[in-house]
Order: sequence, then structure tokens, then C-alpha cells
Amino acid sequence: MSPADHVARVPLSFLLPGAHARIDAIDDAIDATQREQLVAYGIAPNRPLVVLQQHPMSIVMVDEVELALEESVARHVWVKRR
Amino acid sequence: MTPSAIALVGNPNVGKSVLFHRLTGAYVNVSNYPGTTVEVARAAARFDGSVDLIDTPGVLTLPARSDDERATMRALLHEPLRAVIQVGDAKNLRRTLTLTALLAELGIPAVLALNMHDEAGARGMTVDAQALATALGIPVIPTVATGGEGVAQLTHQLADARKLQPLLHYDAKAEAAITDLAARIAADAPHPRLAARGLAILFLGQDSEVEAWLQQTAGKAYVKLAAARGVAQARGVAPATLAHERGEAAGTLAARVTARTAQSSPLLAHRVGQWVIHRVWAWPILLGVLYAVYEFVGVFGAGTLVGLLEENLFGEHLNPAITGFVQQHIHIVWLADLLVGEYGLWTMGMTYALALILPIVTTFFIAFGLLEDSGYFARLSVLANRLFRLIGLNGRAVLPMVLGLGCVTMATLTTRILHSPRERLITIFLMALAIPCSAQLGVVLGLLGGISFSVVLIWVAAMVAVLMLAGFLAAKLIPGRRIPLVTEMPPMRLPLIGNVAKKTVGRLKWYLIEVIPLFLLGTLIMFLLNQFGALSVVIRAGEPLVSGWLGLPPEASAAFVMGFLRRDFGATGLFALSHTLSPIQAVVGMVTLTLFVPCIASVMMIIKEQGTKIAMAMLALIIPFAFLIGGLLNHLLRAVWGAGA
Repeated sequence: MSPADHVARVPLSFLLPGAHARIDAIDDAIDATQREQLVAYGIAPNRPLVVLQQHPMSIVMVDEVELALEESVARHVWVKRR
Repeated sequence: MTPSAIALVGNPNVGKSVLFHRLTGAYVNVSNYPGTTVEVARAAARFDGSVDLIDTPGVLTLPARSDDERATMRALLHEPLRAVIQVGDAKNLRRTLTLTALLAELGIPAVLALNMHDEAGARGMTVDAQALATALGIPVIPTVATGGEGVAQLTHQLADARKLQPLLHYDAKAEAAITDLAARIAADAPHPRLAARGLAILFLGQDSEVEAWLQQTAGKAYVKLAAARGVAQARGVAPATLAHERGEAAGTLAARVTARTAQSSPLLAHRVGQWVIHRVWAWPILLGVLYAVYEFVGVFGAGTLVGLLEENLFGEHLNPAITGFVQQHIHIVWLADLLVGEYGLWTMGMTYALALILPIVTTFFIAFGLLEDSGYFARLSVLANRLFRLIGLNGRAVLPMVLGLGCVTMATLTTRILHSPRERLITIFLMALAIPCSAQLGVVLGLLGGISFSVVLIWVAAMVAVLMLAGFLAAKLIPGRRIPLVTEMPPMRLPLIGNVAKKTVGRLKWYLIEVIPLFLLGTLIMFLLNQFGALSVVIRAGEPLVSGWLGLPPEASAAFVMGFLRRDFGATGLFALSHTLSPIQAVVGMVTLTLFVPCIASVMMIIKEQGTKIAMAMLALIIPFAFLIGGLLNHLLRAVWGAGA
């Protein structure tokens, strides 16, 4: 992985409220069932999201729906800032 | 059987149950959080009495993964469906169409009700229903189910329900596997209504209900089906990739038919939704909500209303009149006693049920309904998540637990929204142990609130401590892994008074039907125990435990006997003794009774959901534990405040 990739790709849990981002990947630490659930909620590669809050957990807006993701999940969702 | 049923299917919290009510007149519980419906409900349709309408639990994903999703899949497999009405959230067309893509493969005639299009409008979105209808090949009707908008058109267009156009082709590898499996299913296990291709896709997606159905229908040939699936999976056809492809196709179509206007400012609903989980404001808001509920249920319901009913209406007017009437006309002493004596069916059973419990549960159900419809509970699961992590659960378990404050029996059923058997077991156990139902909560608030707010806080602290301790131990002892929380938060809404009223009446009806017979039965048992002198034996036998260990007056034993039937019946018995209890006795008695066995109905429900063995094991743990904690609290409080308090 080149240094540029490190700059571009961050875990969702690192973004500040108000940040706009695009989902890059969900890493393998997330098991298959939970990954399916995330995809169903709209947390899937290439989809845009807006971070609303980071406390008490990551709150994001995807497709006009507010989703809450625990830190243990949000840190395995990799995003690129828009 | 000729197909004569129509099912409402859709994602969670899109308004299926509201629409069900509109189409049948039958009321099923409706709330503003996902997972209100966990079992299918059915009723005859208003527009055609020969058609059964079936309300199904919301599905986030099909293939089914949780118990409520499996219930929906079972309905699709086994009900004689003529058509389905897919109910979709207009604000979230992508998710709606992801499900549509799967329904299309199953080949069931469908119509799409695009619900909540008013909320979509408020967010600057408009969906071109006509273009969507053309793309899908079925009628698409924008609706606002809560206001009845579009419902007439929906019934009218049901006749035009037809099979959906497929939304996508999967990638070549997946298509090859699907075609192969579909051919096998068509040969070995053809379904009377569902297309083999759809079943093949669900089977590849490892839907356990479809697996079970194929196993049963294909018989010996199932081995070959499973082998073919194994080959496909080895080639990399995974459930997640199929789901992802459906999502992509749905997203593309959704983007094509949705127009957006720039939104001027965030909606008030959004801002309120963020305040209630704000890192600072969340806590004063939570305390405020709790205090408001306490004022309404504990002070107004259990204080003012109970005072009016019990002391004035029953105590001064009804009971003396009825007692006088009975004593004048019935000269058989035991019969008169049975009706209006100390343990009389009227003076104890009906008075408890109507004068003490009814006002309390009514106010509780109103408060609960308002909170339910506001969208606050879903946010509560986010707030509670950190705490629940300690007990091996995630914040989602807050919903059944809060519902348990209404009725533990109902809430036990609601644990089906949880994703693993382990989470369900822990939640059901904790609810049976430490979650008081509304009736009991009301009595607790009435009795302890009458003493002081700080006594109420001691009781709350004891309950939370027990909940955390028992949960912590359960999480350590029950094998399995905790599932992290990922949840949707429905928008905050102003509750509709009509819906809250309907819900309250429905719950009260259910409650009274369940409670009055049990209160009468309980009174009868108490009467018989008393008549044959067994009550004094029980009271004497219980004395070392009740008076020695718990420090309660001996008569309190009777409350525990009553508690076996229903915790609130026991609590009411203690309430009736309240003028003779010291603050420490009151709080110790209530803590012990709250932990004590839940009511018979909820034990039945635990047996139904978890089996007799687990239910009995729970009781065997809970009863001694209740007395242990009660006694410890008694000694602790006496050590702190001295025996005189």
C-alpha cells in the first residue's frame, strides 16, 4: 500500500461530524452476516455518507436514513473523504 | 387450495402494520421503531371478505437471518398467496428496491405501496411513481398510510398486481450457479407458487427456511442440491456478493426515478434526533423524560387517580354498598366472606384490579405509547449500548427491555428481533429477573413514591445493580460472542394522539382480559388458604425468611404467595399493607418482589420461546436469588440508617 492510500483511506470512526465521505471497503474483521446487514443498510462500497456524530457511537446519514454503528464496527469500515 | 391470501411485506418500520389496519380494520401494534411486529398477523380484508390479509415482520435482509425475518420467509413459502403488497419507504428507495429485486425473482404478483412519501417530500425528494411502475411492470402507488392517503387507490389497483420485471442479472459465475440450481429445484422440488429461480437464489444465500422447505420437499434429492450449492460456493458465489449486486441494481434504478431539490436547512426532526443522543444533552433529556413519566404514572396515576378510585369511589361508596347488599341477602357466612370478606372476590380481587392497577397501567400505557411513537426508544438503544456491552448484549436489547416495563410477556416475544440465540436467552432471563412490568412498576411508584423520591431511587439503583451483575455473570457463563450494534434510527415524529389512544385501549383490553381472571383466581386461592388455616401456616413457616432475613412483618408472606401468580398481584398485596411498613421494609419488600418470579403468563411465554427446561432453570435461579438480594439489601440499609428507620 502506498503512503497516498494511507492518507486517502481512513476508518469511518476517525471522521469528524459534518464530514462527507464515500465508502471504500468493509474489511474482513466484520463477519459475513454483519457485512450483509451493513450492505442492506446502505453501508456498501462506493456509497456516499455524511457523518452526523461520533458520540456515543458513529451516527451517519445514508440514503436519508440515520444509522448508528458501534465503534468496533465503524473502525473496520474504510472511507475516503469527499 | 386456491390462493386466497395477500401478504404485506417490506423493510422494517415502513408502515406495514398501519396499512394492515387500514385494509382490514384489525389493529395490530404500531410503533415508530423497527421490530414491532415479530409474528405474522392475519385478518379478513375490508374490500373482499374472502381474502386473508397477512401482516409480516419487517425484513432488513432476505435471505432471512433473524427469527422475525424467518417468520416472513415462512409466510412467503407456506401461505396460499395470491399476491403481495410490498410496502416501501419512499425516503429509502434503494433499500425498498433491493427487496423488490428478490421478490421479482420469486415470481409472485405484486404491487408496490410507496409509503411515507410526505416525509420524502419534506426532505426534498420526489419519486416518479409512473416511471418506477414502468420499470418494474407493476402498479406503484404513493401512500401516507397514517393519514389514509392512497389506500383506496391501492385496494383498487390490487387487481392489477402482476409479476415483477427482473431488476438485474447477476455476474456470469452466479448466473450459472442459479440456472443450474433452479433447474434442479424445478425438477426435484417445484413450489406451487414461487419460481425455482428465486428459491435457488435464496438457497445460495443460505436462507434457513428455504433450506428446510427444500429438504422436506426434495427428499433424497436434497443431497444433490446441497452438493451443487457447495460447488457454487467453492467457486466464490457468496451470499454477500449476491446481496451486494441486488443493492447495486436497486441503487441504480432508485437514482433514475428520484429527483432531489437542495435542502435549505436540516429538518427540526433531525436536530431533535441528534440532541437526544448528544454527549452532554442526552443525559438531562433522559432524566427529564424519566421524571415526566414518574410524575404522570407515579404521582398522577398511582397517587391522584388511585386515591380517587380506591379511597373515594371504592372505599367510601361502592364497597360499603356492595358489602351491605351481600351481607343482607347472603346468609351463608363463607359465601359472603368469599365475595366481600378480607380475601373477597370483590373486595380484594376486583378492587385490586380496577381501583389500584387499572389507573396505573392506563397512565403507563399512555406514556409508553407517546414515547414509542416519537422515535425516542430507538435512540435509547444507542445511549444504552455502552452499558449493555458489559452484559454481553448490544443496545438493541433495550427495546424488549423497555417494552418489558409495559408487559414482560409481550416483551419476551419481542426478543425475536435480536440476532443470536445467546442474546435472546440473556435478555429473556434478565427480563424475568429484574424488569418489572407496568402494573408492578405503578404499584412500586405508588408505594415508594408515597414515601419519598429517594426511596424510589434506592429501588431503581438496586434493580440496575442486579441487572448488571446478573447480566455480567450470564454473559460470562453462556457461551457465544457478542454482536456489535448497527441500527437504524427512525426519524423523530410528533406522536399521533389517535394512534396512541388506539394502542392504549388495545393494550388495556388485552391486559384486563389477562389480569382479572388471574386476580380472581389468586383471591380464591388466598381465600381457601385462609379458610383452611393454611395461610397462617405459610405465614409462620415463612417467618424466619420474611421477618428474620428480610425484616418484613409476617403478613408480608401472603404477598409472596400472591406473587407466585403475578408479581403485581403480590406487589399490590404489599401496597395494601403500606401504612404499616417502614421505608426500609417497603423498599426491601418491593426489591424482593420485583426480582421474584414473573407472572404465570410470562412463564408460559418463556416455555414457549425457550422450552420447559430453560424456563424451570430460570425459576430455580430467580426465586432464591430474589430472597438473597432482598435480605442483603435489608441488612445493608439497616447498617447504614440504623434499625429504627
